[in-house]
Amino acid sequence: MTTFDLTIGAIKAAIIVGVLQGCVPILVWVERRGSALIQDRLGPNRVGPFGLLQPMADALKFIFKEDIIPSSADKFLYVLAPVMTLLPALTTFCVIPWGPGIDVTFRGVAHHVSFQVADVDIGVLVILALVATGVYGIVVAGWSSNNKYSMMGGLRSSAQIISYELAMGLAIIGVILPVASLRLPAVVEYQRHHLWFVFTQPVGFLTFLIAGFAETNRLPFDMPEADSELVAGYHTEYSSMKFALFFMAEYANMVTSSALAVTLYFGGWSVPFVEASGIPGAILGIGAFAFKVAFFLWLFVWVRWTLPRYRYDQLMRLGWKVLVPLAALNLLWSSTATLMGWI
Amino acid sequence: MELALFIVCAAVAILFALVVVTHPDPVRSVLALVVTFFALAILYVQLAAPLIAALQIIVYAGAILVLFLFVIMLLNAGPEKDTGDRSRLRTIISLLTAAGLGGMIAARAWLNQSTGIEGADNPSSLAAEGSVHAVARVLFDRYLFAFELVSIVLLAALVGALVLTKKEPA
Repeated sequence: MTTFDLTIGAIKAAIIVGVLQGCVPILVWVERRGSALIQDRLGPNRVGPFGLLQPMADALKFIFKEDIIPSSADKFLYVLAPVMTLLPALTTFCVIPWGPGIDVTFRGVAHHVSFQVADVDIGVLVILALVATGVYGIVVAGWSSNNKYSMMGGLRSSAQIISYELAMGLAIIGVILPVASLRLPAVVEYQRHHLWFVFTQPVGFLTFLIAGFAETNRLPFDMPEADSELVAGYHTEYSSMKFALFFMAEYANMVTSSALAVTLYFGGWSVPFVEASGIPGAILGIGAFAFKVAFFLWLFVWVRWTLPRYRYDQLMRLGWKVLVPLAALNLLWSSTATLMGWI
Repeated sequence: MELALFIVCAAVAILFALVVVTHPDPVRSVLALVVTFFALAILYVQLAAPLIAALQIIVYAGAILVLFLFVIMLLNAGPEKDTGDRSRLRTIISLLTAAGLGGMIAARAWLNQSTGIEGADNPSSLAAEGSVHAVARVLFDRYLFAFELVSIVLLAALVGALVLTKKEPA
């Protein structure tokens, strides 16, 4: 690995973390204005034009709030938990390709710069692994707060994420089979020459999407923080920036889930019927990727303010008795179609 | 650079493994085990076995240890109390086990047969052996029958566990 590769890698990693964190205030604004739109009210419109500076005001408020650590909390784990939640949320994106890549010549040597932090052989598995470790932050937060509501939230979260991971993994296998590679760029490349997987595997996509909502703890599946029963669930005792970190992790997870859905089922950065290379191709690719991800982010907001929350037993029943069989059915279809060469 | 990474990861793995065994609080023991598993996963990647590294995190750190944590939290198990049990038999058994395990590892290292794969000294052939395709080839081709047998055994165990937890109809 040359110094050039290392530098480019560091720059790409910095871009990913920067963009993910930059998305958070925008998403907060979209969520607040979007909820207002759906509920037929105005929403924040006083700070800046269209209330655009409202997230800045929110952040400022978070910073100046008193940072309380409950006296009976396990202090070390209590402080560590928000970090443990945010870290996987920010790192999962590293294996997702967000553009076609460009060729550059640096000091007379030609390089291919791919728009992806790490193109690893086990891309999809890395995502599953990091999503799986994301649960620790929530569980530890619930445990260390030493509060019954927090504890219930943490317990629910661990059960929920393990259950829905299964359906999610099974649905993803349906995509991996025809592509015959775990690398995400290969998945995108395959969809450039074939129909998008959302058309050939609609059931798999639906399973994946629902599981994605559950994995990010968003309504209608926000059981770990269900405010009508658990006050605020695992982050009941958190205040100030520690609470804000949980918030940021939720939105970063939303972005990653959306990006994953786009990559696996909507052709990633590719635009159908358009072939472009070089700088225009890169701009087109990144633009298409951003547009598709933005659609899914809006879907997250849309669903949250439209559907009521599930009951906990309904959630578990849906996960095990509906989604897992559906994903298995999709796997059967996918393997048959791959074998016969239909997709 | 690779040597430095190895030393750091190995040190972290051993250090946190010690925390797992010695820490009285079960929640911290589990979390230390998670750190150990991550360090081991990095070592697997260095050994050109990325698939094993990913499975290590998904299965152990992502599923089994979460269940450990779940059970510990559900039982609300507090820090372990020192029972003052210093029986000689326990010490002797622990020492014997440690010595036996250490001896096995030392013998393996001394005989220099770390993998048993031909051409294990050649990094490129090692990488070919550890890739997802190579593992799948071995698993679903050469050892397909054994693999399917194991899945049936696992299924039987699963059904058995379910039956055992079901309450008797009144």
